[in-house]
Amino acid sequence: MLIEALVVSCLLGAAIVFFTPDRYAPKLAFGLSVPPLVLSLYAYVAFDGSGNALLGGEIAYETFAEWLQLGPYAVNYHVGLDGISLPLVVLSTVLTTLSILSAWTPIDDRQSEFYGLVLLLEGSLIGVFAALDFLLWFVFWEAVLIPMYLLIGVWGGPRRKYAAIKFFVYTNIASLVMFVGFFALIFGLGDAVSSTGMPAIAEALRAGQLGYLGTPTVGVPPDTLAIAAFLAMFVGFAVKVPVVPFHTWLPDAHVEAPTPASVLLAGVLLKMGTYALLRFNFTMLPEQAATLAVPIAAIAVISIIYGALLALAQQDLKRVVAYSSVSSMGYVILGLVAYTVYGVGGATFQMVAHGLISGLLFMTVGVFYNATHTRMIGDMSGLASKMPATATVFVAGAFGYMGLPLMAGFMAELFVFIGAFESTVLPAAPVFTAIAMFGIVIVAGYLLWAMQRSLFGPFELETDYELGRAPVHDIAPIVTLVVLIVALGVAPDLIFEMIRDATLDVVEFGFGGGS
Amino acid sequence: MALIYELTPAIVFLPLASFALALFFGRWMPKKGAVAGILATAGALGLSVVTLGWLLLSGEVHDQTWYTLVDAEMGVDLAFGILIDQLSAAMLVIVSLIAFLVHVFSLGYMNDEGEPGLPRYYAGLGLFTASMLAFVMADNLFMAFVFFELVGLCSYLLIGHWFTEDAPPSAAKKAFLVTRFGDYFFLVGVVGVLVTFGTAGFAGSEGFPALAESALAGETSVNTFGLSTEGWFSVLGLLVLGGVLGKSAQFPFHTWLPDAMEGPTPVSALIHAATMVAAGVYLVARMYGFYALLPTVLGIIAFVGGFTALFAATMAVVKNEIKQVLAYSTISQYGYMMLALGAGGYVAAFFHLTTHAIFKALLFLGAGSVIIAMHHEEDMWEMGGLKSEMRTTYLTFLAGSLALAGIFPFSGFWSKDEVLFETLVHALGGSPLLFGAYAMGITAVFLTGFYTIRMVMLTFHGDPRSETAEDPHSVGWNVKFPLSVLGVLAVVAGALNPVPIEMLTGAEVDFLHDYLYATPEALLTGAEHYSSLSSYGSGAIAGGEIGTMLVNAGLSFGLAVAGAGLAFGLYRGGSPARHTERLGRVQTLLMHNYYQDEYQVWLAEGFTVRLAAAADTFDQGVIDGTVNAVSSVSRSAGARIRQIQSGVVTNYAALVVLSLLALLVVFAILGGWF
Repeated sequence: MLIEALVVSCLLGAAIVFFTPDRYAPKLAFGLSVPPLVLSLYAYVAFDGSGNALLGGEIAYETFAEWLQLGPYAVNYHVGLDGISLPLVVLSTVLTTLSILSAWTPIDDRQSEFYGLVLLLEGSLIGVFAALDFLLWFVFWEAVLIPMYLLIGVWGGPRRKYAAIKFFVYTNIASLVMFVGFFALIFGLGDAVSSTGMPAIAEALRAGQLGYLGTPTVGVPPDTLAIAAFLAMFVGFAVKVPVVPFHTWLPDAHVEAPTPASVLLAGVLLKMGTYALLRFNFTMLPEQAATLAVPIAAIAVISIIYGALLALAQQDLKRVVAYSSVSSMGYVILGLVAYTVYGVGGATFQMVAHGLISGLLFMTVGVFYNATHTRMIGDMSGLASKMPATATVFVAGAFGYMGLPLMAGFMAELFVFIGAFESTVLPAAPVFTAIAMFGIVIVAGYLLWAMQRSLFGPFELETDYELGRAPVHDIAPIVTLVVLIVALGVAPDLIFEMIRDATLDVVEFGFGGGS
Repeated sequence: MALIYELTPAIVFLPLASFALALFFGRWMPKKGAVAGILATAGALGLSVVTLGWLLLSGEVHDQTWYTLVDAEMGVDLAFGILIDQLSAAMLVIVSLIAFLVHVFSLGYMNDEGEPGLPRYYAGLGLFTASMLAFVMADNLFMAFVFFELVGLCSYLLIGHWFTEDAPPSAAKKAFLVTRFGDYFFLVGVVGVLVTFGTAGFAGSEGFPALAESALAGETSVNTFGLSTEGWFSVLGLLVLGGVLGKSAQFPFHTWLPDAMEGPTPVSALIHAATMVAAGVYLVARMYGFYALLPTVLGIIAFVGGFTALFAATMAVVKNEIKQVLAYSTISQYGYMMLALGAGGYVAAFFHLTTHAIFKALLFLGAGSVIIAMHHEEDMWEMGGLKSEMRTTYLTFLAGSLALAGIFPFSGFWSKDEVLFETLVHALGGSPLLFGAYAMGITAVFLTGFYTIRMVMLTFHGDPRSETAEDPHSVGWNVKFPLSVLGVLAVVAGALNPVPIEMLTGAEVDFLHDYLYATPEALLTGAEHYSSLSSYGSGAIAGGEIGTMLVNAGLSFGLAVAGAGLAFGLYRGGSPARHTERLGRVQTLLMHNYYQDEYQVWLAEGFTVRLAAAADTFDQGVIDGTVNAVSSVSRSAGARIRQIQSGVVTNYAALVVLSLLALLVVFAILGGWF
């Protein structure tokens, strides 16, 4: 019942906030985001699952109920958590609460709608990570789009409509491609499955029960079907992640989105893509993933290096952070395709680590923006002398992003590098890994350069605003994130242990590899 | 386990605590955090000395995992552990001693001068010290990398201390980026070592050097990724060496170090003498059991070291600012240490690391004292005549300079002599390539003597060349005390290992040699084990070992004196001329540091930034252009089709009738009505 309580407390909170007068909404929304946060932390503390939820592991907080019959397929209400999904649920609740705090300063109209949508978004995100039935999962997956579309489209910057529609249409078309691909698999399995439950489908696919789509005479043979479905799902999820070349919606969405929406977009929404890649492509179709290992790793490496170069070229601090997300997500893809415990586990760890660190950087840029009303690097310099606390946090966040040891990002990247280096699935794994690792030099380059120009040197500001110290409710969330990032960097086994436990079965697929 | 080893982690945690205290509460603390830092480093020094004493008395070493980050059932564990053997125990004392003296000196240099941001400064110093101490006691390569990086972070924060000016943040960025570039290779190497050996431990038969040894002997096999065993190990060794060259400012990664002079002078002392720059060389010594297996890599190390020693010394000859001269001398001296390590002189390298830590800290603090006196003027041509006004500073600085120049009997003479002696002996012993490295090293001795004495003459001798030099600011006890301690050590530290005396008299005085040979065999980290691994032979000229020693010592001493004498001759008198300007175009080349900075800046700004701009154009135009084009196709198609819906009822009626007719015709044809 825990997951139901989580989702319902979010939705109920959203409903209450929608009908609250604007001036009470910020504090009320913050208060109402606490129950889901506490519940998710309780879920973390009391977690007793083991193994992978899709591959016969012990599912924690499982609920199963019959829902409806769709032709030969039973669609059930089936939710539960394992070591992969639980950290992401906690990430969602933590970032939601913190982003609500970070919204107090910048959001000054239609507050009740804004905070209501944020809580609605939180409920949908938890649903995505908890659902274990495909159709149920898809409902939550699509439901996420609506609040985010509105958050960008209503409270966004000057080009908000363009950005919101681009985000919505692009990711929605991608969902369609993915949906077709997955249903082709279900049909190809024929009688082997009788429900749309993800565990059943995963077991059947890994057991090699995929048959012809259609009939053996006029149908698609299993091998072709599997590859085609893999590609369709990969493209569908790749847009969400995003990986190059499907990434161009991201900077537009980030630049226009208000800070709290950016935090959730980069912090959690991108992880839906990588989470789905792990759950569907890499768990259900390991052979196809291995066949396509080289092109996938190439895409990952290109995302890392090309994304970092794009970040280097930006003049808008928010665009810098946005493009660097493309780069960071490349590490996730590289870890996944390695098919080692360190690789896949590291990819999952990176989802959490990047969620915290990118959230931190977006929030900090937001705090500067609240004061200066500009994000252009050329418009400001020497901010550190006027806003020392915020600048300190920004420096900490930037070094976290660069992979400074004893912070979460370093551990994530190191796991991925170890896992990728020792991969037996990926040919020339050390070469791919070594090229990907060069990302750590470029990221240091653009962040240090951006800091040098905006934070340091003599104070100058192109806009006419008095800079004071940022209010406590601006500083508290970013400091909290720094603490969490350091905690995960010093004690990665806080979550990495359960992640490893859940990824073990994913990588054990007779590749012979992977310690 | 001895009680002292239970307390060893406190050596790191004391300065770490002073970091946290100064960061959060520094504003309200006595001397803005300086007192906490002094107490913490004094505590660390005390514990280090006790550790060293215990090790000397009992011979008990310590190697234990202290904290496990990742406890993997499958694959490699990632853990922090403490390795206290002869090497690390001695290094802990050096680092904590220098850190303690730098903290004391900072009272005079920062507090008394009313510098801003003191809590931040002391927090940085504390973290810097803690990171370096943790790096020194690391028992595995992963932990070493972690703290190696944190050392880099601290140097960034401290070099950029005066961040409201333009130059320090730029220098800090450069220091971090250049060393990061080296650390990239290091990290690839760490991952490679972890994956190849399944462990990154330095010591014992389970450590990776031991595993590498048995793999090379063909006793075990490891994944070598398609290369020969030695080839793959050499690749790993060179990758780790990337980080070493970056941090120890060896060619071609030396460019960050002179710029790093933008930081406060006590920080320079710490960086150059005992922490960041020393970290690279220390790492090679720490995993020498691995490098000793790889003759090719050793040869490369020796050559890079010898070349850097000479290369940096030439640039130091023409510099006009006191800290610039010292910066290039640091690069040059670390070149000697690399030369020694590459040439199989493990003990000599650590000997020179020790003496250099002392005399270079002394010289930087002395320069800091001069800079206080000169009201932050650093140009030596504005100085002159300071020796009568600043007695303590002059005498101690002179002691440090003579040590740097390698003048008998100051400490630097003994250690540099041993470095060169080891190189020569091994070159004679069938490794003729080492002659090249030796030639570069011995040439640099002359230049070192020259630029060091030039610096002393210009700063302290002659007539005052500016008003500030005529009436310098006085310095307090907090400046004189560290200078005096280091000044005495700079004179006597050579007694640690005066090998020539032992050879000539037979007295057992090679204490450091015996000390480093005393490491228990089980750890496999002692000098004795390394010498058994070495593939270098020994040779002699002039009738045996003593003859070789005398030739080498005579040569190195003679060249040092010649260089020093030339500088003394040229720059004595009331107002010396700018002699280096007579070098003409060579002077220009040297002043521009062989245009090394120019090409590296071009790589960063001319190449990478332009590449990024091109990528951005491509991204906006082609990739996003395609996305927008797809959407505009569907939109324009929609717009065309929409025109059918004109809103005129008669048009709709006409469409309905025409459609109906068309349907009828189709049915008629299909149904065969005709």
